[in-house]
Amino acid sequence: MFHQRSKTCSVGCKVLKVFGKLFAVLAALYAALFAVFYFDLDGKLLYYVVEPFLVKHYDKMERKNPLDQPYDIK
Amino acid sequence: MAKINFKKPDLSKLKEIKLPDPRSIKLPTLPKNKDEAKKLAHDFWYGKPHGERRLGELYMDKTGLYKHREWRGVKDTLYYFNMIWLYNYGQMVADIMKFGGPVLFAKGLWRYRWLGQTYLPVLHWFDRGLEGLRGEALRASAWHYRAMTCVTINQFMNMFKADANLHNGAHNDAWHHSIAHKETVWGGIFYPWSDKYTNIPMEMIPYFVTCHVNNHTVMNYIDAAQSLGLPGDPCPMCQAEAGIFVLDDMPDYAPFVVTSNEACDGSVASTAIQDWFLNVPLFAMPQPMQFDDPLVQEHCAEEIRECWKFIEEQTGAPFNWELLRQKLERQNELQRFEWEKWDVAAKTSHYPINGVAQALYRIYQSQYGDHYIWHDTDRRVSKIMAKCVEKKIDTFPKTRHRVIAWSCAPLYYSNWCTWAYNCWGLNTIINMDSLMFDMTIRTDKLENTVMDMARYHEWAPMRRMAVGGMNHIFELWENMERFHCDMVMMYDQLQCKGMQGVKGLFEDEFRKRNIHAIWMPHALPDKRTVSRAEIRRIINDYMSTVMQETPLDPSLLEFDDDMSW
Repeated sequence: MFHQRSKTCSVGCKVLKVFGKLFAVLAALYAALFAVFYFDLDGKLLYYVVEPFLVKHYDKMERKNPLDQPYDIK
Repeated sequence: MAKINFKKPDLSKLKEIKLPDPRSIKLPTLPKNKDEAKKLAHDFWYGKPHGERRLGELYMDKTGLYKHREWRGVKDTLYYFNMIWLYNYGQMVADIMKFGGPVLFAKGLWRYRWLGQTYLPVLHWFDRGLEGLRGEALRASAWHYRAMTCVTINQFMNMFKADANLHNGAHNDAWHHSIAHKETVWGGIFYPWSDKYTNIPMEMIPYFVTCHVNNHTVMNYIDAAQSLGLPGDPCPMCQAEAGIFVLDDMPDYAPFVVTSNEACDGSVASTAIQDWFLNVPLFAMPQPMQFDDPLVQEHCAEEIRECWKFIEEQTGAPFNWELLRQKLERQNELQRFEWEKWDVAAKTSHYPINGVAQALYRIYQSQYGDHYIWHDTDRRVSKIMAKCVEKKIDTFPKTRHRVIAWSCAPLYYSNWCTWAYNCWGLNTIINMDSLMFDMTIRTDKLENTVMDMARYHEWAPMRRMAVGGMNHIFELWENMERFHCDMVMMYDQLQCKGMQGVKGLFEDEFRKRNIHAIWMPHALPDKRTVSRAEIRRIINDYMSTVMQETPLDPSLLEFDDDMSW
């Protein structure tokens, strides 16, 4: 009887387990995102890492010199 | 075309990151008695009341970053996290997917400084503008920011779709179906072709919006213009707009361009440089400065008709009156709702939009022209506003003074009014730029429409009141009465020769009328001339010495945000 019950609930249990795991993962993700938000980690990453990196890149870019272009009327 | 040499990022820079000393973060202490426990639980659930928040202690020194974002109580913090922070990051991704895709975005990001440096930290722009807000004011103001973000993404993705710089120099179909124009040319001029052609203002995204979001970027362009040998004292807006071209940072996205003398002669000068570097057919559509003369009005309407002829010649597509009429009707809807908003702002204390959201949304929407997101936003805000009025919600309960802000605002510190409310209870009800396009446009017949469009154009930002003549600059007095304001924040754009010329007249009038006015000096986009800390100091001095008031939040009196976005 006990064996049968555990067998019939095993599918349900599996589904529950999957949902449970999914819920746990989503809850952990939500909590992690909240931590990023609350401690302004997105701002710190952008300010200290992304912006300096991009600025360095833009400063090094080769650009055409617009003054080389003749001034005339089209 | 810029040559791109990708190099691995220098990860040793990571060591330079200065995270806040954990000891500087104040953790809540355990309550000593039942009352303290109750207070702590109350503050956790509802957030600290205004006056106990000490928002200035949240900042990290110099950067304006937060040690941690503000705790606004459970409901508002979760609203901010879910419906502002998460929602807007998600919507930004969705907008990029919708308007052209991540590859195009990445190419643009890599190519253009104004995109990469400016728009990634956009959520911090939200934070700065929405500091201290609660309840319906937080919700309504945030929707305004969402709309502006959406239109910004839409515009730069449209630029990139057509940009020859991102398509190996090829002029694709999108390039042939784009119209470039100065940001001071109202988008409504192009409504008759809006079913087939996309009009994109040249400087609105690379220049104007960047100053609000990340003011570091614009300094590159100001300095670039001066590197040509141009003097440093003209309007920095025009310098920056020209500097984008000098630095070769303008997408090549359209076969012709429409320019204007808005707001003043400075724009004509920057257009001369842009014309040189763009090297495409150009139509200059000047508007008269002293626009009260009816003969001048006819002349302005004729300029618009000539512009339409030019577009027809360039595109080969005929003028579509029905489309113009439909789009103007939609724009008139926006104006009618704006009047509703002004009505609530003027006559009640239930207006749920703070000073910076009001100012930026209104100038953006009325200058850019019709867009679906403005209608979506107005529908949402309308519901929030109706709720505030029905339930008589006092949206800014710590208001000590109702402020009207006049003349042109500092773009690098547009959120000063959020600070001023939190620190001093100065609630900015309305500002000059919001009141510019104070009209709907007749759509019964073309002659009336063109005359109204001419008037609309003459009433553009920095034109109608700022350089539009004495009668108009002094519309301040009637608007003070209309909006029941008891104080003026008088912007003092140090490099605007027009407004500098009337400073003395204003001072005389303020004295004569016994009006409390604070002069706020600034140099429009350039924070190096007058810093944000200096602006705060001037307001602090006036409030403590002249008004003899004490701050609501003393932690906001002085802090160093010199290097902040």
